[in-house]
Amino acid sequence: MKKVVLMLSIFSLSFAQENLQELRRQLEEQRKLIRELEKKIQTLEKAQTKREEDRAKPAPADRSIQLRARFEDRLKAYQVSPFKQTALLPDISFILDFSLVGRNRKDQEFHELVIPRLWHRHEEEHGHALLNDRRGFNLNYGELFLYAPVDPYFDLYATIPFSDHGAEVEEAYAVTRGLPGGFQIKVGKFRSSFGRLNPQHPHAWDFATQPLPNKVFLGDHGLVEKGVGINWLAPTPFYLLLGAEVLQGENDQSFGYRGFTIEDNNTHNTFSLEDKPVPNLYLGFVKTSFDLGNLTVLTGFSYAQGKHRHAHGDHGLDAKTRLYGFDLTARYHIDSFRYLALQGEYMFRDQDGTRYGFNNAGALVTRPVERKQAGFYAQLVGRFHKQWKAGIRYELINKNSVRVGGNRVATPSNLPAYYAMLEYSPTEFSRIRLQVGENRAFYEAHGGRFERKPVKEVILQFNFAIGAHGAHPF
Amino acid sequence: MLKLSALLFFLFSLSFAQLRVVATYPWIGEIVREVGKERVSLYVIAKPTEDFHFVVPKPSHIARLRNADLLVINGASLEVGFIPPLLQQSNNPKIQPGREGFLDLSQFMELIEKQENVSREMGDVHPEGNPHFHLDPHNIPVLARAIGDRMCQLDQKNCPYYRSNLEDFLRRWNTKLKDWDAGFSRLKGLRVMQYHKTYNYLFKRYGIETAGTIEPLPGIPPTAKHLERLKREVGDRGVKFVVLEGFRRGERSAEGLAQTLKVRVLVLPQDVGVEGAKDLFTLFDEILRRLSQ
Repeated sequence: MKKVVLMLSIFSLSFAQENLQELRRQLEEQRKLIRELEKKIQTLEKAQTKREEDRAKPAPADRSIQLRARFEDRLKAYQVSPFKQTALLPDISFILDFSLVGRNRKDQEFHELVIPRLWHRHEEEHGHALLNDRRGFNLNYGELFLYAPVDPYFDLYATIPFSDHGAEVEEAYAVTRGLPGGFQIKVGKFRSSFGRLNPQHPHAWDFATQPLPNKVFLGDHGLVEKGVGINWLAPTPFYLLLGAEVLQGENDQSFGYRGFTIEDNNTHNTFSLEDKPVPNLYLGFVKTSFDLGNLTVLTGFSYAQGKHRHAHGDHGLDAKTRLYGFDLTARYHIDSFRYLALQGEYMFRDQDGTRYGFNNAGALVTRPVERKQAGFYAQLVGRFHKQWKAGIRYELINKNSVRVGGNRVATPSNLPAYYAMLEYSPTEFSRIRLQVGENRAFYEAHGGRFERKPVKEVILQFNFAIGAHGAHPF
Repeated sequence: MLKLSALLFFLFSLSFAQLRVVATYPWIGEIVREVGKERVSLYVIAKPTEDFHFVVPKPSHIARLRNADLLVINGASLEVGFIPPLLQQSNNPKIQPGREGFLDLSQFMELIEKQENVSREMGDVHPEGNPHFHLDPHNIPVLARAIGDRMCQLDQKNCPYYRSNLEDFLRRWNTKLKDWDAGFSRLKGLRVMQYHKTYNYLFKRYGIETAGTIEPLPGIPPTAKHLERLKREVGDRGVKFVVLEGFRRGERSAEGLAQTLKVRVLVLPQDVGVEGAKDLFTLFDEILRRLSQ
């Protein structure tokens, strides 16, 4: 019995042991299962939170969506401005010329002065003020400049100065860009190529004022005319340019085609002349240039011929004008910036015609007129630093011979002016210039007698340019 | 009489036999000469002693442009101060922009320092990017090919001749390129001051650093204030040279700055014809030799 009990207990013990192991195994399995489940729950939870986060975030960076969005944007843009041509905008620039003027004559007195038998002040035109006309601050001009090729065959340039009073089309012309054989044709309204200074815009001048010969023979605004010009560049190894212009001839000083009516102050008798046939002004020039080492010489000869009708008060002039011009520029370049330049121009005007006036009884009197007048300027300008320039200029009307009815009229014939200037240009686009000088060509008119009234001037000139403005030629 | 007119005709046709090329800068002229040799007649507008931004538009250049078959320019607005008025007065339709006879080399280059927005208050910046790309020797073969292709287009009869000259030039160039790559690579990390950002293409390729420019802004001459700031900020940061282009030799602001920084002014050729650069090869040889001192 004891044996049986022992056996049983051993058996049961071993069985129990076996059972225990089984239980442990099961427990282990369940633990594993739980761990797996936990893991699953965790990943699910993670996925859940991620999904929530994602929902909070913007849409994923999907390339196709981006492309579609961009495409839609473009679609919209095209719908708004499908024929936008901003890429074809012309070069636009704006140039301001502003000055502060000090003068020893009051404005009223200054405006009544004349240059005997050569110049008197004309009524101010709209859009184009006379430069440095008044004491104090002057808005000389604010100039809009446009340029673009029209098509493969033409370039177009326009210069539109604005003043206090309005605007004016000073220049608007087209130039050919594809003519063979070295030819170029220009049509429209433009500054004539007569001489050296006249074709240049005032902001490219070395001084704030125009020299006397240009002022008296070509006018305060220069020879700017409607017409057509042609030039031919010769196929020579040096620069040789020949040109001709056919112009309307509307110049106040030398080439006016318009007729006039004069009226006698006492009897109110009148006399009228019709307009001259147009075109009225024919012009030719030749320019040449060569280099001698660092010295560049540019010289030219110009000739203009046309009829001139002009009335002033109770008398008028009907004449034929021949104008001759000779110019010479010699510029010695020390380096890219520094140079010394000598520039001069001589002009001679030969006029033949008839003077119309009234005698004391109010009857018309016609007398032959012959005027031979000439003058020159010479200037020396040094650019001694990239930003600094200084210069002096001497101007002189040295011939002023007027014959009316074969008799010489007493006229002052030694009319000088001289100026000095110093300018500072922070960049090519801004410039401050101080100019001082005296003009001894101005007179006060007392009937037929003249009294000299020298005009002393100090001009502080400011020039600013913005936008796309092309470089200037030599 | 017949003999004379025949002679005249001969001279006339002789002068027309050559391709007449005008280049704005001497280095462009060198490439044209390498490709065309005696079969082109070449005229170069700018002198190497001139500041490349400020070339004077002399009328004598107009006379040469009038008869040209091809005008090759650097482009990227570098010539904006003189080429437009010269072209306008040249009365030559063949070389107007948009025609076959007008070649703008900047079109073949990937320009660096391109500005998104430009304003003149930033000085004389070029909206297209830095235009001085010719000072990276790796750009020269691309430019030479562009020039060779255009010469071929204009003068098909001589095309095989141009092609073989071009290939010969490129072969010699590529050999030299290995020397330059080795030489310039040794300068990696060198720090210099420049007057203007002239050498940026070269320095960028070979890891030479520019610590500052003497100009406060491109094209604006140095001011006392800017130089003071340069001395303060760059003073002790291991600058070895103040680099000047050949045409600026003797520039006082650079001398003064170099003195305070206790470094040397180093004048480098910027084009063929100055500072010992006899041709395109010696241009880079000389730059390397001087920088390696």
